[in-house]
Amino acid sequence: MKATLKESASLGLTLALFAAGACVALAVVYSITAPTIDGLEKKQTEESLAELFPQATSFQLMPETLVSADPAVRFTESYVAVTGPGERVGIAIKAFGPSYGGDASILVGVDAGNGIAGIKILTLKDTPGLGANATSPNYFVDRSSGTTWPMQFKGKSLSDAFEVKNDVVAITASTITSKALTRIVKAAGDAGYARLKAFAEGGK
Amino acid sequence: MKRLWNIFSRGIVVENPLLMLMIGLCSALAVTTSVQNGIGMGAAMTFVIFFAEVVISLFRKLIPNSARIPIFIIVIAAFTTMVDLVMKAYTPDLSKAMGVFIPLIVVNCIIMGRVEAFASKEKPLDAGVDALGMGVGYTWVLVGISAFRELLGNGTLAGIQIMPDAYVPILFFTLPPGGFLVFGLFISLNFWLKKVFPAAADAAKEAA
Amino acid sequence: MNLIKIFLQAAIVDNAILMRFLALCAFIGMSNDVSKSIGMGGAVTFVTVLASAVTWPLFHFVLAPLNLGFLQILVFILVIAALVQLVEFFLKKNVPSLYAAMGIYLPLITTNCAILAVTFDNITKGYDLAESIVYSVGASVGFTLSLVLLAGIRDRMKTANLPAFIKGTPSLFVATSLLAVAFMGFSGLIK
Repeated sequence: MKATLKESASLGLTLALFAAGACVALAVVYSITAPTIDGLEKKQTEESLAELFPQATSFQLMPETLVSADPAVRFTESYVAVTGPGERVGIAIKAFGPSYGGDASILVGVDAGNGIAGIKILTLKDTPGLGANATSPNYFVDRSSGTTWPMQFKGKSLSDAFEVKNDVVAITASTITSKALTRIVKAAGDAGYARLKAFAEGGK
Repeated sequence: MKRLWNIFSRGIVVENPLLMLMIGLCSALAVTTSVQNGIGMGAAMTFVIFFAEVVISLFRKLIPNSARIPIFIIVIAAFTTMVDLVMKAYTPDLSKAMGVFIPLIVVNCIIMGRVEAFASKEKPLDAGVDALGMGVGYTWVLVGISAFRELLGNGTLAGIQIMPDAYVPILFFTLPPGGFLVFGLFISLNFWLKKVFPAAADAAKEAA
Repeated sequence: MNLIKIFLQAAIVDNAILMRFLALCAFIGMSNDVSKSIGMGGAVTFVTVLASAVTWPLFHFVLAPLNLGFLQILVFILVIAALVQLVEFFLKKNVPSLYAAMGIYLPLITTNCAILAVTFDNITKGYDLAESIVYSVGASVGFTLSLVLLAGIRDRMKTANLPAFIKGTPSLFVATSLLAVAFMGFSGLIK
């Protein structure tokens, strides 16, 4: 009995040593990679913002969360795009809504002029080769001009109908995805437009 | 040298972990929708199996028999986590595309099987060579399957348009059922390879 | 309502085997007999639910507050391995009849990637404990369902006249492919 006790103690010790070794090694790797991983999401947002508003020089995180008129769509953070002389050129809203394969998120840019400055699909879990074509750089709604699916929204007026297969080109065989994403864009666009108008009237 | 070559080449056709032993299948089918994914997964898996085999072989005299399984799991899990963290930091797109299948390398039966059957008994050099053989055997199948699926299912190879514009991609191949079908055909192909090159099979049998 | 949705999603729409390619080793190895596949399904269900119930609090109350999220893989797989051991001891001692029925499958379960994947999903999908449990039940029911389905097909294939190049294992994957086509029809069932 005593021998087995000693045996299991040494077994436990060996196990603990291996586990400790593994944890230390992992902690080292983690401390090296963690800053890079944390920085990636921020970088992705920053890059997308700069893509939507190339003329803006800085982006201010808005203190309040905008409210969506569409109950299926919700917003997280939004940014005001500002140029050098301090002129507000637009708002970008991060919007989430249901699509075919789960929630999708889109960064929607609204400009002070007439409508959508551009959109950037951040996450989409729809079927590869079908709905996922929305994010593919090789899938074109108009091949001759190289317009990808998200690019068709650039410069689109918010007074448009935003109807798939009418004024929005659908992704082949993926009407559900097209409709779901268009709905998110429309909701975010309306909210951003209303906020910009309030800015203009409030003057501040 | 001949001996090491035999250990190495075994994993490529005759004892190919995927096609002959039918283990480690999950990741092989799930991520092979594009060639980049296939290469990335193959590299990640080869890294983990190489270091797991070498480390366990180095410490094989210190591992008590009755506690070996948990220790193997700890070692494999540690290297898997390292790959996961490194890929998240430096190849974020690849890491996102493969999702949960990088952490799942830890339960890849190929690694556990080789560690148990080979590395825990043999010298580190042999274990390392064995791991590389298995890694190459795993990677070529992955790249092969993904090239086939990407070319027919998307008209591209590694993201570059290959098929003419007129080609309408057969979506079936990028969807799950296509994965199963293509994999079945690859097993069939490997059976045929084994029949056509019996010499290689005999050589490997001697080494085993 | 939400729980029903999660259950259906896990069991049918995102079927662990046919749509997500999880647990294929067990799928191919254990589907040669209908009763065997039901036994395997039962054992997997048991361990998956138990593993979810243990790993969820472990992550949210221990790993996350201590900022040790990077140990997730290591801790989760050890929990599953330990649970399988415990279940084996417990059944052997207390319910020998069940052990005799399930015993041979238990050691194989540790390396069943569906279980580990479910415990990871519970965290990444942001489920609470109740949702996690329902999700794990759904995923294991889906696993069992496809296992039993393939076992049934294999029974029929034994007497079928197949082309030579597809005989044996390749035929299993062709059959699975057809099953997966059928399950594709469910996608979009839940929005």
